[in-house]
Amino acid sequence: MRFGLDRRLIYHFDWMVFALTFAIALVGLLSVASASYSEHRPFQMLIIRQVIWTVAGAAAMFAVVMFDYRALATYSYPIYGAVMALLVTVGVIGQATGGSRRWINLGLFTLEPSELAKLALILVLVRYLREEPPPGGLRLKQIAVPGILLAVPAALVLKQPDLGTMLTMVLIFVTIIFAAGINLRTMGILALVTAMAMPVAWHTLKPYQKERVLTFLNPQSDPLGAGYHVIQSEIAVGSGGSWGKGFLKGTQARLNFLPEQTTDFIFSVFAEEFGFAGSMLLLGLYAALVARGLSIASKARDRFGALLALGLTAMVFWQAAINIGMATGILPVVGIPLPLVSYGGSSLIVLMAAMGLLISINTRRYLF
Amino acid sequence: MNAAIEKRRLRVGVLTLVLAGLFALIVIRIAVLLALDGSRLSSLARGEHSEQVTLRAPRGSIVDRHGEAIALSAQAFSVYARPARLLRTASDADRIRLAQTLGLSPAELTARLNRPAHFVWLARRISQARADQVEALGLEGIGVLSEYKRYYPESNLAAAVVGMAGADDQGLSGLELQYDRLMRGGPVELREDRDALGHAILDSPLALRNAAPGARLELTLDAQIQARAETELAAEVKRSGARRGIAVVLDPFTGEVMAMASVEANGASDRLHNPAVQDVFEPGSTIKGVLAAIALEDRVITESQKIFCENGQWDVGGREIHDHGSHQWLDLQQIVEVSSNIGAAKIALTLGAQRYYRGLRAFGFGRPTGIDLPGEAAGIVRPARTWQQIDLANHGFGQGIAVTAIQLASAYGAIANGGVWMRPFVVKAAYDADGNTIFIHTPQALGRIISPTVAHSANVILRSVVNGEDGTGHKAAMEDFLVAGKTGTAQMINRATGSYYQNRLVGSFVGFVPADNPRLVILVVLEDVGHGHMGGLIAAPVFNEIASEALNRLNVASARRAYDAASLLPVSSAETESITAVVNAIGSTQPQRDRVRDSRLVPDFRGLSLRDALHMAAEHELNIQVEGNGYVTAQRPAAGQPLDGTPIKLSLGIAQQTAAMQPAAGRVHGRRRGGA
Repeated sequence: MRFGLDRRLIYHFDWMVFALTFAIALVGLLSVASASYSEHRPFQMLIIRQVIWTVAGAAAMFAVVMFDYRALATYSYPIYGAVMALLVTVGVIGQATGGSRRWINLGLFTLEPSELAKLALILVLVRYLREEPPPGGLRLKQIAVPGILLAVPAALVLKQPDLGTMLTMVLIFVTIIFAAGINLRTMGILALVTAMAMPVAWHTLKPYQKERVLTFLNPQSDPLGAGYHVIQSEIAVGSGGSWGKGFLKGTQARLNFLPEQTTDFIFSVFAEEFGFAGSMLLLGLYAALVARGLSIASKARDRFGALLALGLTAMVFWQAAINIGMATGILPVVGIPLPLVSYGGSSLIVLMAAMGLLISINTRRYLF
Repeated sequence: MNAAIEKRRLRVGVLTLVLAGLFALIVIRIAVLLALDGSRLSSLARGEHSEQVTLRAPRGSIVDRHGEAIALSAQAFSVYARPARLLRTASDADRIRLAQTLGLSPAELTARLNRPAHFVWLARRISQARADQVEALGLEGIGVLSEYKRYYPESNLAAAVVGMAGADDQGLSGLELQYDRLMRGGPVELREDRDALGHAILDSPLALRNAAPGARLELTLDAQIQARAETELAAEVKRSGARRGIAVVLDPFTGEVMAMASVEANGASDRLHNPAVQDVFEPGSTIKGVLAAIALEDRVITESQKIFCENGQWDVGGREIHDHGSHQWLDLQQIVEVSSNIGAAKIALTLGAQRYYRGLRAFGFGRPTGIDLPGEAAGIVRPARTWQQIDLANHGFGQGIAVTAIQLASAYGAIANGGVWMRPFVVKAAYDADGNTIFIHTPQALGRIISPTVAHSANVILRSVVNGEDGTGHKAAMEDFLVAGKTGTAQMINRATGSYYQNRLVGSFVGFVPADNPRLVILVVLEDVGHGHMGGLIAAPVFNEIASEALNRLNVASARRAYDAASLLPVSSAETESITAVVNAIGSTQPQRDRVRDSRLVPDFRGLSLRDALHMAAEHELNIQVEGNGYVTAQRPAAGQPLDGTPIKLSLGIAQQTAAMQPAAGRVHGRRRGGA
């Protein structure tokens, strides 16, 4: 285990991931500032907190860069266990907001364990799959354990209920086992089984979740009710035009038409004020970050590092894709933060740490 | 191991493609939202959080030709409420007091406040005193805005011409409708952004933005002549028991309508309906003046030719035509003078359907005049090919055709001005709020329809109606002025049966004055009068009254008086000669053919007003094309050039505007007597 500053670490530091992370975080600060702005109180606690968390996230990021990621293999299971314990705890003593228990109040701030759970899930899956698969790829027998490792946090998160995070976990899982070399026939069978299980899953959804899916299929059916979120968000994105209405000029956000505008619908705030150009810039930043992550995954020296990089990249990608897809009306509304942009300490710090990990993986391929 | 890495890279590559595809999908979706839905969504966004109330800047005023106000917009006050705020803060007692102050029942107030709106009007265009009372209540969510209210200072003066504007400043009828776009004040948008919950975002009061007031219309009407026409008409309607009276006063040389009045028997004045342009009646014998002009113009008859009038009863195709008296051989003038139906029928038959039809159309019958008033009727002149012989005969004395008052007046205008049909109009000019001219109405000549010689002959014939021994229009005669005109008495048509009522008549008189130098065409129509109410008895006196007022108003000097005055003066024989020449010139619009024919040179139009230019053109039988307003500043070909038959182009400017401000009489005294 190596811990400490190495000259080569500085020489091979991945400035690109670093720069992209901070660029996206900056977009986040602007958007949160705009979404929480009011003429009477230009600087709300919200934006001050977000700045503090960005600084904390940067610290976490640098700490992780110093850290040799391979050591994480050793700690994967304990970390996973601890996070599962937190998830159970939040179900019991969690702070309820808007009908769901997701946060643990730690006095100074509230912790959202489901954000940690995504990272823990990646670590434990990658740890389990770090050995090369047998010839012919992973079959049911080999993915049974990873399946259970997914099922535990997914079930706990769904119970909160947090459909969005559960969905992210499933997608991260699918991405990792695909890259880890799943047997294509096995994958086909699993896909078929999932499809057939859909109607059953439908009945396990909460009424409001069903409603969201239904309104996704036809948002105009209830424009002031269940379809309201999507329509308002589409209005915000669509009314931005090519260059946007300008910073702090978005009327949809300013007038509180957008729901959850500092978190789930932060993209709409940004798109309204910075227009198509701004949206493309933000999407470009994500695309570059994801491309860089995939490139790190394919270049990594060891399989653990490669799968880890892929898992982290998948986390960023799926969250961004689902969040923006939801804000633009191509996906049903599932509450999910826009990575590095949405207001929220847990998500921001976890993601910045994850990006630190990505830098660490890329940097250290030159160290051994 | 390398193979494993290769395999892993392949899988990452596949993943990259999948993720890139999903990214592309999002990009496309955003582009679609923007490109296709952009405008719709952004207007949706606007509509969602702004409440808009549109008020208007004051509507433009309407003034008569001398600037006297006929329609004005005055400031008034309107009370609005923001129901949510009011209901939140006002007690029941407050609301009852508010209802009382506004003159509403508490139930009515509650109903208005319960409308699902952020802004409701509680009272519109109320007095300042009452608005002050409302403000004194000091209720939150109640406000007072200033609006404008239309009012007509001369109450019903020219009501049917002016028409009316609705509560939201939209023209509904008459000039208010015709020139609505010009007169309507610019919109004043009161905008207020509000958030998703309907709370006003700006606490500041509604911001008013300046907007342009509407244009001011200057009419050709003369309020004083109009008022006199209405008074006289009303008196005669009462006296004769007519259901309705109509009067039109025109300037024959320009087509300017100086008065257009309509009076109902019950005294009501209808702002929504203008009978003078929207309703038709059978012209009856008044058409005979036009018939005479057409017959002379088409040379089917000479002035000396006599026609046998069948002793008052004549059979045409199995139908009998009657005259009022028993007449034998009459010439054209006598036929018009005694108003012989048989004589008129024979002239019409001699003309033939084609020529008479063409003549009537040329005089403006059967088609709208194009006056700048809405809803003008075309009148009824059926196509010549459908006329039976009896139809042609009947049309000769004005049966079976229908005309509007403005058509009949305009037709006589053409006879009066020497043969040019002028399009009638009522708006002289429009000015914007800063006094800049928007347009000035130029008189529009639609062309020469009869020669000046024929016009003069018709003029002289029509004088006999008033002055002739057997004339039917003696009551139109004036002491100081020569009057030419024609009476008419037509039976009304029973619309149910299509036949004529025996004792429901339309009595009319149409003529011009002074006949020797026409300044005014006046038509008076009294509808639905009983038996014995001939046009010459009921309409001619009204003509007389209106004419006195109007000639006095226009400062028209009496040629007869001038003559009398001149003959009393001790003058030399040379002077006597010249005065006689002047009087003769005034006394007759007979063109001085010889001089024109001999010279065959283009006359000098420069410095003339349009009226005088038209007059000169008529005298010289010239066609002119006019451009601009004011006085002739240039002409082509130049004065003194040989005439080549092409129209003479006149450019008018306002160079002599100051000179023109001299009293109108100056024109009469000045140039026409220029020889003296």
